[in-house]
Amino acid sequence: MSENTEVMKYVPTTCPYCGVGCGLNLVVNDGKVVGVEAYQRTPVNEGKLCPKGMTCWEHVHNPDRLTTPLIKKDGKHVPATWDEALDLVAKKLKEVSDKHGPRGLGFHTSCRTVNEDCYIFQKFARCAFKTNNVDNCARICHGPSVAGLSLSFGSGAATNGFRDVLNSDLILMWGSNAMEAHPLAGRRVAEAKKKGIPIIVVDPRKSMTARIADTWVRFNPSTHIALINSMMYWIIKEGKYDKKFVEERTEHFDDLKKTVENYADCEAIHGVPLETVKDLAFRYADVKNAVIIYCLGITELTTGTDNVRSLGNLAMLCGNIGREGVGVNPLRGQNNVQGACDMGAYPNVYSGYQKCEVPENRAKMEKAWGVTDLPDWYGVTLTEQINQCGEEIKALYMLGINPAVTYPDSNHVKRQLEKLDFLVVQDIFFTETCQYADVILPGACFAEKDGTFTSAERRVNRVRKAVNPPGEAKEDIWIIAELAKRFGLKTFDLPTGKDVWDDMRAVTPSMFGCLYERMEKPESVIWPCPTPEHPGTPILHREKFATANGKGQFFGLEYRPPAEVADAEYPFTLMTGRLIFHYHSRTQTGRSDMHREVPRSYAQINVEDGQRLKIKDGELVKLKSRRGETETIARLTDDVAPGVVYMTMHFADGVNNLTNTALDPLSKMPELKHCAISIEKLGGN
Amino acid sequence: MVAKGDMLYAWAKDSEVQKKGECGGAVTALLKHALETKMVDAVIAIQKGKDLYDAVPTVISNPEDVIKSAGSLHCGTLLIPKLIKKYLNGAKDKKYAVTCKGCDAMAFYELAKRNQINLDNIIMIGVNCGGSVSPVAARRMITEKFEVDPDTVHKEEIDKGQFIIEFEGGHKGIKIDELEEEGYGRRSNCQRCKMKVPRQADIAAGNWGVIGDKAGKATFLEVCSEKGANLIESAKSKGALETEAANPKGIEIRGKVENAMFKLGDSCRKRDFEGLGTGKDRLKLIMTESAKCVKCYACVDNCPICYCIECSTKKPWYIAPGVLPTSFMFHLIRFAHVSDSCVNCGQCEELCPMEIPNALFMHSQQTEIEKMFGHVPGRDMSPPIHALAEEKAERARLEATGTDSIYTNIFEE
Repeated sequence: MSENTEVMKYVPTTCPYCGVGCGLNLVVNDGKVVGVEAYQRTPVNEGKLCPKGMTCWEHVHNPDRLTTPLIKKDGKHVPATWDEALDLVAKKLKEVSDKHGPRGLGFHTSCRTVNEDCYIFQKFARCAFKTNNVDNCARICHGPSVAGLSLSFGSGAATNGFRDVLNSDLILMWGSNAMEAHPLAGRRVAEAKKKGIPIIVVDPRKSMTARIADTWVRFNPSTHIALINSMMYWIIKEGKYDKKFVEERTEHFDDLKKTVENYADCEAIHGVPLETVKDLAFRYADVKNAVIIYCLGITELTTGTDNVRSLGNLAMLCGNIGREGVGVNPLRGQNNVQGACDMGAYPNVYSGYQKCEVPENRAKMEKAWGVTDLPDWYGVTLTEQINQCGEEIKALYMLGINPAVTYPDSNHVKRQLEKLDFLVVQDIFFTETCQYADVILPGACFAEKDGTFTSAERRVNRVRKAVNPPGEAKEDIWIIAELAKRFGLKTFDLPTGKDVWDDMRAVTPSMFGCLYERMEKPESVIWPCPTPEHPGTPILHREKFATANGKGQFFGLEYRPPAEVADAEYPFTLMTGRLIFHYHSRTQTGRSDMHREVPRSYAQINVEDGQRLKIKDGELVKLKSRRGETETIARLTDDVAPGVVYMTMHFADGVNNLTNTALDPLSKMPELKHCAISIEKLGGN
Repeated sequence: MVAKGDMLYAWAKDSEVQKKGECGGAVTALLKHALETKMVDAVIAIQKGKDLYDAVPTVISNPEDVIKSAGSLHCGTLLIPKLIKKYLNGAKDKKYAVTCKGCDAMAFYELAKRNQINLDNIIMIGVNCGGSVSPVAARRMITEKFEVDPDTVHKEEIDKGQFIIEFEGGHKGIKIDELEEEGYGRRSNCQRCKMKVPRQADIAAGNWGVIGDKAGKATFLEVCSEKGANLIESAKSKGALETEAANPKGIEIRGKVENAMFKLGDSCRKRDFEGLGTGKDRLKLIMTESAKCVKCYACVDNCPICYCIECSTKKPWYIAPGVLPTSFMFHLIRFAHVSDSCVNCGQCEELCPMEIPNALFMHSQQTEIEKMFGHVPGRDMSPPIHALAEEKAERARLEATGTDSIYTNIFEE
């Protein structure tokens, strides 16, 4: 029986949505994906899936898929052959490179695509153009986690796995709506609740996760540092901190102690009554094992890196690092946001976080990749590249990324893209960003390629090809290899995902032991895993921290307000987030049946504010910021406090028409979760 | 001649099938024979995937491949009939021979009643089932309770009230009661299950009651239909299968095993249902638990009773779209539409991402309804308490008449 006449063929693979990395089976009939079925054998989710996982196959054969290369001629995108398209891309990129040098180009890769694509993409950028202007969209989600956890603990990744929360005596969730944004990590919290483990959710909004918590603490948006400092003040004052841990395993405790002196009571900043702060602090400090789970509520701010380090401070203060049931765990947003960073699609590091500035690292890569003169400079980050369009940067190459919707200040992004001499977009659908592209290259979706995604618990999960890409669309590693040929590069003859992975492994000590063969086991491998015999490392920092001297680093950090706060003209604070029913710019979820759940954007507005502005539930409103405006539906609710508005990120000309591009100085994270807006009643719906 | 009602010991004639199959390989021999003689177009069986704990449903159309499905896997918690409905056009245009547990057999009937599966095209080879263990839970149990590396286990079985594993360097058994008291062991729906010998299949096969020199070397077959009798007769006559009359003492023992399982099922029901409380307390518990629902639709998608093209839970006038926590109406609609026919297959609970004990809630209601109306789901083709309507025709009628009462036609009669 030939492959294409097989029916009900199960292809075990990994969900393409969030960073939990759930296993699932794609069901294939006669060469077409016809459904998703549970994969009970995977330890991550044991067959269980969220609404997105259940429907993740529905866009695969959608008629809107890009099926042929497109070249913009006279303002219109017309079909082209692969040779025409690739020759043009090579020619144009070379022109820009020759004329403007390595800083004249920029490369953005998606955290939605496989490790193998991310690795070969950054390798191509670095080999062909000698540029470090390579970045991925972790920059606008967990960049501050990478920066902050690296500074505090020496490794920018989650310390413990999802299921490990069941070993805790207390779960503290901060700025994470896991039940919606990471549902199968949320499931572990639901399991913990059944076991009687107390759950505290700290969030300005009464989210789905806050609803299942034993205790929900509301605080003023973006005042994390003040609140955490206050907690630490009381823990230190009452002598409830882990003196032995602090003494033996950390340094700079005095800096911390001195800084938090000023935070005994700062209710005026964070809005939490002193007694609640103390209760929160002592509950965290008093149990044997407490785990912190956090997410973008912490990171997507101009204080992102400091917010992360503050959580690091709190965990170390109470000795909650390096064993079962403790830790500081960012829930990584996208399916491969961990992996895209691990692969070196980053402006200052190669795969495995090997710094480009270190001459030995460059020499190693030059030898392996068969090139010379790899750059040592720190490349330009994601949104800074957008700012440089038309100035330093003349050409951009975007792989699976849709900045016209997802980057802050959409109007600015679109203006900047128009200033480019040349834009290449490689994607599976004609996104809002494709409109600005000179060449569009049709790639393969997760069901059409072999590869790996690395989840938030550092587990490298296999992605398996179930069907062929549609029409002329090609696997992304083929596209990059074809371009590499046109630049005379010799080390890109890597036809399969495994070939690319092994090419990466050969230069990456922390992942050398993560063999494809070992990933056949559903448990797969959790990095760091330096040798093929190494069991992998589910829990980091057991004996010592990954910092240079092995000590955890305390930082005395002062609270700073967000870059833009509510004022008379823009009196509301806007927060943003993700819905369970959609993923980012909806290119995929918008093409599934689930789309009917939330077909239009909405804003949560407090009931009192609604009454004051005479806005009825379900009616249209106009939201305005200094950067733009958007129309949306008002949902009146007490889930947000008066003066606070919450809106999701998924819709074009939506929330990112309003958001602020101000950056966190350490991680270059834009302030996506806080800006000032006004509300205008429009009426109608 | 083999006839309905016969009790046989059977084993494969082919020595390879005998060796690889469980208990003499009779089931494998029957499946292979059905395919070879073109009685069916394909066999649907469970194959070992990545390891012993990974049960993968497979459609086999080459007789030589049937052997790959030989042997039993107790971590197979799948429900095959719903897969046939979803992916194989409800067996409307092809014939299949299928191995099935009690829950599979019951689900076949419920889907057939709703015109979702053509049972005429299905040969059901039932297998006794003492319950199944979810794969990851099984591995955890073996690691934590047996203190054995699950990767070294090459055989597991449930026998004489024990969960037994054979591994490199030995074997070990622990009483199921003990395991389940500590939260390990079979799925909770399996613990409450009383469909241990699926007699509504064409043949009910198993190892219970095989005694004497045939113990471990033959399979007990109870012939439950003429279709089953014909298959066995044909397999015998073509030299694929050998049989002898079952030992009367063996039949007695088989009955005792089954009865012991019933008693265990009854006590688990008592424990679970009483644990729900009664009246308002029970309602409160159900409401609290189901408030965690994130509307993934796994319960609907995997339920052998759910089959509607237009699901009521997707009607915005019942349930506001896009709102979490999911309205309790979602669960009320499920209860109203499913509870009279729930076969306690457990899919809605095993696959619930928020750990809502959906199967327990539904099963507790089903047993109450059964007490009131005497309707037993999954046993035969008798129609459910709810009306059965052809959905498309019924929706057209509602549209045309402007009524919203689906049951008008029944009450008028």
